[in-house]
Amino acid sequence: MDDGDRIAATQTTDDELMRACDAAIDQLREDVDENARVRLVATARRVQGVLMTDQTMTITIGGVSIVSRDAAVLRRALEIPKSVDRTDLPIVWRGGSAAVLLHEAVAHAAEHDAPPVKWPSWLRVSDVPQFAFDDAGNAAKGADLIAEPPQCLRRESFRDVPLRRMTNVVVRQTHAPFALPAKSIDVHLVAGGAYDPLTDVVTIHVAVSSAGAFTFRRTRAEVAKSLVGAKGAPIVYPGVICSREGQELAVGSAAPVMVTA
Amino acid sequence: MIYRKRGCVARWEHGRVVVVHEAGEAIEERGVFQVRTVAGRIAGATLEDVASVANALRSVNAERLVVSHGVAEHECDGVTWREETRRLHIAITHKHLRALVDRAGFELDEVARIASALTRAGAERDAPARIRLAPSVAAALLPHLAGVAPPNVRLIQSGGGLDGNGEEIQEVAGPPWRNVFRPSYRIRPVRMPLNLRLECDVDVIDRDLPEAVALLAPVAGLMLRVLVADGQRVYPSTIRVTRIDAVGHERAWYPYAAGAFGSEIML
Repeated sequence: MDDGDRIAATQTTDDELMRACDAAIDQLREDVDENARVRLVATARRVQGVLMTDQTMTITIGGVSIVSRDAAVLRRALEIPKSVDRTDLPIVWRGGSAAVLLHEAVAHAAEHDAPPVKWPSWLRVSDVPQFAFDDAGNAAKGADLIAEPPQCLRRESFRDVPLRRMTNVVVRQTHAPFALPAKSIDVHLVAGGAYDPLTDVVTIHVAVSSAGAFTFRRTRAEVAKSLVGAKGAPIVYPGVICSREGQELAVGSAAPVMVTA
Repeated sequence: MIYRKRGCVARWEHGRVVVVHEAGEAIEERGVFQVRTVAGRIAGATLEDVASVANALRSVNAERLVVSHGVAEHECDGVTWREETRRLHIAITHKHLRALVDRAGFELDEVARIASALTRAGAERDAPARIRLAPSVAAALLPHLAGVAPPNVRLIQSGGGLDGNGEEIQEVAGPPWRNVFRPSYRIRPVRMPLNLRLECDVDVIDRDLPEAVALLAPVAGLMLRVLVADGQRVYPSTIRVTRIDAVGHERAWYPYAAGAFGSEIML
């Protein structure tokens, strides 16, 4: 019960929501790889009378995690050899991994109403909700994250305050330049990232790349300036479990191949 | 083993009060840990006005403020106990600096002192050769000293009270840690040291030394990013803890890891 200033949250058992969660977990269990550490999370919520479910599988092998139902994707990534010794080369963000960079540099910054920076004119970063209603009962609305904050209010549980949060970050390019650098680092998987609204610094912990694991840290303006090209349609990245204010939420992620230099 | 918890909490967060009532049980059998909700509410719990605590901090430039007061009843294998918790988390900002403050009570004088010091902070400086850590800073360091504490100090789990399985917390001076921490019925209890404290044969603290009055970032191993007050001069700095020269006698409990008693430390 939410009266604006005060939320009264009482835990109750809702059979319909429980059944929806159980069904979602049963589906996920079919894909569990017993040779990996696997975390299954299913949530069900009813907003404006509409039942909505979320389900995620996080697979961890050798300390590297992806949000995916296919452990083979992670195994293939972990087999990529380290072939570059430097981490100061241009970076080619492959497999949709640029969505994680822009999740931090654009979407989180938008959540914090950060001042604008000059992004390339060919770049679009959108929030594209995949559900009918947000967690405050409003019809889910998309957003142009370069120009405005996410429009959806989300909460991890009935115990939490709904916050303006991204839902599904889709990065697109329109007639972007693209040239593969002579020497570069190919990034395939990201372990995590952060945006600090106080310093405007974006941090990305790369888990799998041709230079091995390393940390990418730049101000948002530097990230914007470093985006020198992109190619193709958005590629769906395995997914992101996004934590803000202690509330963990799954966020969809997709981006074309992109180059920072 | 069956563990049950009934509780309620009032929490101030994002300018709103959230009052939560919940009850659940956790059953661990044959390697499977399962939790579910149970009926019923905790009886006789009166929650404090967390909004008034938050309002008292209106003048502080808080990037994040969470104030909570909770009451819980626990039951585990026939043992029942009740506990009451107060937590204050505030991230105070000034320019590019952020001071992190975590307390187990609502005494706000120290928060005001840290906020005042932060506004006087100058440019980054090297850490002084010798420095004092305020009890709150020292408490945050304690969980990171497990296994790496210098030989002249003793890191001890303080005895008293009950752990997450309703067993008595033993006074223990090192691993193996036999007690468990269970912050929620939804979380499988973890063996770890509870209510740590640090002891040293030397307890004389030189009060003329600069003092690390607040954390500017979460503790990372033995690296502390702190706000240092040296007379009228205040500055951010980074300390690497390589030795501990003295540990003060007076202690206060802080909500770091599974609890830590902070006392003044001289490096």
